Amino acid sequence: MHKISWPKQIVTQLLLALTGLFVILPIWGMMRLAFDGSLRGRPTEFRFFPKVWSFEPFFKVLDKPYQSVDFEILLKNSLIVSFAAALIAIALGISLAYAFARFRFPGRQTGLFILLLTAVLPLVSFMTPLYILLSMLKIRTTLMALVIVYSAFAMPFCIWNMRAAFQTVPKEVEEAAFLDGAGDFTSFTFITLPLALPSIVVAGLIAFLMAYSEFTIGWMFVEKADNVTLAMSIYAMMINQYLSGAQPWSYIGSLAIIMSIPVVVIFLIFQRTLLERMMFGDAS
Amino acid sequence: MNRFRTPFRILAILVVAALAWGLRARAVTRLPIDFDEDDYLRAGQEFSHLIRTSDWRGFLETNYRPEHPPLAKIIFGVSILSAPEKPLTPDASTTASPNQYLPRDLVKPARTVNAWFGILTVALLSLVNPLGGLFLAVHTFTIKYVSQIMLEALPALTSLITVLAYLQSKKQKSKTGWLAVSSIFLGLTAASKYLYCVIAIAILVDWFLDAKRSNDLSRYYRHILVWGILALVIFFAADPYLWADPIGRLKESVFYHAGYSSGATEVQSAGFPTWQPFVWLSFAAYWWHDGVFPFPFDPFITILAIVGLKRLWSKERLYMLWLGIDLLFLLFWPTKWPQYIITLTVPLSLAAAEGLKLTWDNLLAWRKNRKNVVHIPYKKSETVRALPWLIPGLIAFAVLTLFPLLFQLGVSFTDFSVASLRDGLQGGLWPAMFGASHIQSPASSLEFPFRQTQVNFIGPANYLPALGYITGPSFYSSGILIFNILWTVLSVSLQTTLGLGVALLLWQRGVRLGKFWQLLFILPWAIPEMIGAAMWFNVFQWDWGWLDLAIQKYGPNIPFAFLSAWWDSASGLWIVIYLIVALWYGFPFMMLAASAGLKLIPQDVYDAAAIDGADRWQMFRHVTWPLLTPLLMPAIIIRGIFAFNQFYLFQAFYDLEATLATTSYNVFNTGGLGHPLGGQFSLSAAINILAVILLIGFVIIFNRWSKAGEGVTYA
Repeated sequence: MHKISWPKQIVTQLLLALTGLFVILPIWGMMRLAFDGSLRGRPTEFRFFPKVWSFEPFFKVLDKPYQSVDFEILLKNSLIVSFAAALIAIALGISLAYAFARFRFPGRQTGLFILLLTAVLPLVSFMTPLYILLSMLKIRTTLMALVIVYSAFAMPFCIWNMRAAFQTVPKEVEEAAFLDGAGDFTSFTFITLPLALPSIVVAGLIAFLMAYSEFTIGWMFVEKADNVTLAMSIYAMMINQYLSGAQPWSYIGSLAIIMSIPVVVIFLIFQRTLLERMMFGDAS
Repeated sequence: MNRFRTPFRILAILVVAALAWGLRARAVTRLPIDFDEDDYLRAGQEFSHLIRTSDWRGFLETNYRPEHPPLAKIIFGVSILSAPEKPLTPDASTTASPNQYLPRDLVKPARTVNAWFGILTVALLSLVNPLGGLFLAVHTFTIKYVSQIMLEALPALTSLITVLAYLQSKKQKSKTGWLAVSSIFLGLTAASKYLYCVIAIAILVDWFLDAKRSNDLSRYYRHILVWGILALVIFFAADPYLWADPIGRLKESVFYHAGYSSGATEVQSAGFPTWQPFVWLSFAAYWWHDGVFPFPFDPFITILAIVGLKRLWSKERLYMLWLGIDLLFLLFWPTKWPQYIITLTVPLSLAAAEGLKLTWDNLLAWRKNRKNVVHIPYKKSETVRALPWLIPGLIAFAVLTLFPLLFQLGVSFTDFSVASLRDGLQGGLWPAMFGASHIQSPASSLEFPFRQTQVNFIGPANYLPALGYITGPSFYSSGILIFNILWTVLSVSLQTTLGLGVALLLWQRGVRLGKFWQLLFILPWAIPEMIGAAMWFNVFQWDWGWLDLAIQKYGPNIPFAFLSAWWDSASGLWIVIYLIVALWYGFPFMMLAASAGLKLIPQDVYDAAAIDGADRWQMFRHVTWPLLTPLLMPAIIIRGIFAFNQFYLFQAFYDLEATLATTSYNVFNTGGLGHPLGGQFSLSAAINILAVILLIGFVIIFNRWSKAGEGVTYA
């Protein structure tokens, strides 16, 4: 194929620019709110740029975005919940993933099917039973409850992906270690795990991001303001705005941007691997 | 074997007809009076009076509700002749609620004559296919509308006869007789209700295809001219109201429908979206009338029909044409009353019969194949080695993931709700899940919302109401499930189209700024879904969104201003706004998947195609597309699952009943957004279980396609 001619180049660039405009439009809509220091409630007139450029909404959000809770507490809650959920999903699922990747045993096919099915269920199908169960145990309103819900949701996905990661490690490497007298556990710890680690980290990252940006379900569980996460405070602000419009809309915008930046950076860095993981790719 | 075939067939027809008779007789006595029944009874009374007084000239000027031709109404008049004459039912507007005080001794004979037409239709269909007859016999919407004083029963029968006679003519050497029969019955159909004449289009298309194959188009035009004129003559003969002023009155009655669909308040306030016919097909009259129908067969018949579509087409093209053209017509027709689907339940039942046979054949083949598959035996030593890895993982998986799902199944067998929250949490839920009940007869308490203060076991009794809730018109939505499926299909096809388009643009050699564009386009994928939803909410939200503020400032003529008005669109155009947002979310993923797939296609294939003189479109159609599809398919299905489970988008737009996930959440939610059924925990659990069942289907399809994709390597 030859390089495209310049009229074609122009048409291509125009089409791409149009798509780019579509991508940017809602993001810019949020940005212009975030940087507008003049908003005291809902925006009341159409503007393409902020009326008064200001970083004030960012400072406000970085101080106390939701009620009188400090930003640090929200961030801390978010990080605790997300890290714990990802860690639990990985740590408790890893041995099952290895078993599915390496051994043949009765019921393996059925197990894989159940695994894939549970990995594609919506979060809400875990919320209903866990809300009731955790209420019975009287721990529903704690951060621990959130960790349990998110890790229950993320675990099937993580197991599926770790299985794929283990399968990419050639069996021969393990067999060589086996001949040298290493047991299953030794060869797993010193050979397979290190080789598969990058993919496992990515699987954990996806679980982390899910817990980090989830909030409607957390919103049903948590009762005290101290246990609110960053994502939940956005939802709280949105509901508040919708009902009364009391707070400046700039805060939603600035908080959304602050929250998105780390996620976007992670996605841009890991785009290819994340795509593979999210397609439930079978590495075999 | 053949000797028993005929008696067996006759027996099957008799059984099906008897079943149809039983169900329709029950419906005739038990169904409450519905909209329009008073109108048609009044029309019947007028005709009955004319016959009693032998006032034959009166027929020329009598046709109450003249928008519909009078034949079916005359039949009502004949049917109530033997009943004592009653004062005329009062004239009421079409918006009036059903008149519950109609005289029973008039309603019964009028309904019964309709029911007999319905039974005849079933019997006739059983002649063609007993299984199809069975499905038509139990279809609850069909039972309902042919057992009430509605205009559906007669044209449903005559349209079937029209089709059967036409099909007979195709088999016979001398076609004229059967063609005349089909033409006569088409005329009678037109004289009963215009809508049923859609079958004429199906017949003409089928006829045309035959004529084209035998290169005999000029004869075809002569034939259809005669056929059509005969039908017109019969129509005219069976419609005495037209005789006095044929053109004027025909015009009046036809144009009434155009005005009715756009102007009548009941059509507007019903607010049925364009896709409402699909909703009626997935719903059943069972959920409207307690104790009239045995079971909501309709959605299951529809599912089987979808399975059997292809086989029906290869078996008898005309039925498929009937189904397809009719459905297309109903989608475009602005009025969406449920009785309109009676025009297509005959081919639907036939397709369902084919679907059932196909499923059965597949099951047999699967069983046979299973025996033939060589099973590699499991090594005991390997299983033992796997155990130390399996056991801890299985325990964790069972406790965290499987147990909640099983617990949910248990909850769905109870009537646990916010009213019984205290009892349930203090230990009342466990015994209830295993059969304990505080109320005498749990079945009688089945009324949404549940208000018992103690949890009771109600068994699978939640599931039929839950199925009715997600398939039929509910608080904020008309058919959640159909919207959910439509949403999945439309949003994923849009995302795939744009994603593939952009990938192809970037794939051209020498495109400038390629890396930059790709990085920019990934943004929507990277932004968390809820934040993306908030961003679009800020654009589209009513009154305070960017778009509405711009309209307030610059007037309603700015580009895209029409989108703002679509929020209130009764025909469901608001789905376009959601689709725009979903396109934004989803196209980057498809773009990346398509780019990854395109890289795997070797250059040689294109060089070879170029040597053969293929142009750009041919290259895409015959090289890129077939090579890309197996690679793209898993990504499409993954996106499909995401779209099916879409939650945050609708939650951010305060759409409480869009997808199953949103519905389940808001039915569960006790406070906050205020769904009327908020706090119905067991209903939420049942909806989740239904969603799991649907997702099993998705996963099976995914498995099949990802295995197909694995075998493909080009490099």
